[in-house]
Amino acid sequence: MSEKLKTVLYPVAFALGFILLWELAVRIFDTPTYLLPAPSAIVGVVDGSLGGHMMVTLMEALVGFVLANILGFITAVIFVHSKPIEKGAFPLAIALKTTPLVALAPLLVVWMGTGYSSKVVASMLICFFPILVNSVKGLKAIEHEAWELFSTYKGTRWEIFWKLRLPTSLPYVLSALKISSSLAIVGAIVGEFVGANKGLGYVVLVSSYHMDTPVMFSAIIASALCGLMLFWTISLLEKKIIFWQRADDL
Amino acid sequence: MGTPMRILEERTAGRVDTRPEAGRELAVSLKNCSLSFGKVQVLNNVSLDVYKNEFLSILGPSGCGKSTLLRLMLDLLKPSPGGEIVYADKEPSIGMVFQKPVLMPWLSAVQNIVLPLTLGTKKKLGKREAKEKAEDALKLVGLQDFRNHFPHQLSGGMQQRIAIARALAAEPTVLLMDEPFGALDEFTRERLNFELLRLWESPDNSLSSVVMVTHSIQESVIMSDRIIMMSPRPAGVEDVVDVPLQRPREVGMEELPAFHQTVKELRKRVKHQ
Repeated sequence: MSEKLKTVLYPVAFALGFILLWELAVRIFDTPTYLLPAPSAIVGVVDGSLGGHMMVTLMEALVGFVLANILGFITAVIFVHSKPIEKGAFPLAIALKTTPLVALAPLLVVWMGTGYSSKVVASMLICFFPILVNSVKGLKAIEHEAWELFSTYKGTRWEIFWKLRLPTSLPYVLSALKISSSLAIVGAIVGEFVGANKGLGYVVLVSSYHMDTPVMFSAIIASALCGLMLFWTISLLEKKIIFWQRADDL
Repeated sequence: MGTPMRILEERTAGRVDTRPEAGRELAVSLKNCSLSFGKVQVLNNVSLDVYKNEFLSILGPSGCGKSTLLRLMLDLLKPSPGGEIVYADKEPSIGMVFQKPVLMPWLSAVQNIVLPLTLGTKKKLGKREAKEKAEDALKLVGLQDFRNHFPHQLSGGMQQRIAIARALAAEPTVLLMDEPFGALDEFTRERLNFELLRLWESPDNSLSSVVMVTHSIQESVIMSDRIIMMSPRPAGVEDVVDVPLQRPREVGMEELPAFHQTVKELRKRVKHQ
């Protein structure tokens, strides 16, 4: 069996085995559905509306993710080129990062209402710090000799940025994207908890009021899938973009 | 010091020296250069001349400020007031090879060589011309078949040859090298040493003076016409030693008495420091 097939087959086999055990355990011990529904019961409650809620959450998370990463990278570029701004603003960024998002979320809903925007901003807040920190680190990670090479040949500041700093930072940027891809979903769901009438967070909350555990499980699993999809997409991009690091990873 | 070893000239008699007898025409001149990093004095009143058509080695223990000297010549660092660096040419073309290859991992071999040719506000070369120059430089170091390879697909020795090609592509008259083969294994190092000598001797390129920083006594003797011995911190010129070996240098010259004599001479000086 080829190695590639194994890397796909083994996890799938394990997951199927786990689900089977779960199903059997629930049937044998006859656990009440409101505590632990069987996988078959969870699948039974899945309908088109779950897909709709999933799309809502995914969109909120994705928009927040993209905006936060663009903003975070631009901020990092400014930090790297201006010591005073970096020194002055970094503590603020850390303060923002250490404030729990759960505590901020109600404020966001008060300011922006129960629509999309409050969730997008919640997602942005949680994604902003990883990209900022990693980009600053990556943009500064240039080899001293590489800088000397550019200086020897009279490279301008602009050229040093485009042809040296930016490509050097890419591995750092992509690892930040990987981290925040799953955080983005967290942000959106926390936003939905506070005030929403659609999205996976809303489904989880409402089903918990009704003790409708199978629906709750379906929403939880759907949110995990959203995170996984984002993460895999970024991993794929990473392999394409920073091809020169592939040899080291393997 | 540096008593020429006549024995050698007899042994290599009849061989034509491809280099014109050093006309002692100045290429670069460092005058009274001192430099401190904070309170640490790195260079103390260094004066030295580099001539045209000369292979000069700067020899000294690690961390004695040899690399700093090259950075002064590259104008990456400025000497303390009173010191100056004078190039014979008004706009000297200087090439630099570092100890590490310093290749951009996201660029292919040929793109890495094109890179410095397209830097700066005064665009000297068009894209096409730069590419042609890069291809020529790749041929010089014998890596034309690897033009589209990326650094991570090449061995350390190949990477350093690309770094040399990158320096040569800009057609420098003065080539500065900072322990260019220091990170390579003994075999590769020896091969590249002679490859570099052949390049320097060949009339196909603009190269006139080479200044190589090294901490290997053997390497400095086999490669250079003159050796500048540096004293440890703060570095100053301790001694200048002429190498009484014929050009072109060939594999096996390490066996000659003149070679051993010079190595011994240099060793003695190191011990006296």
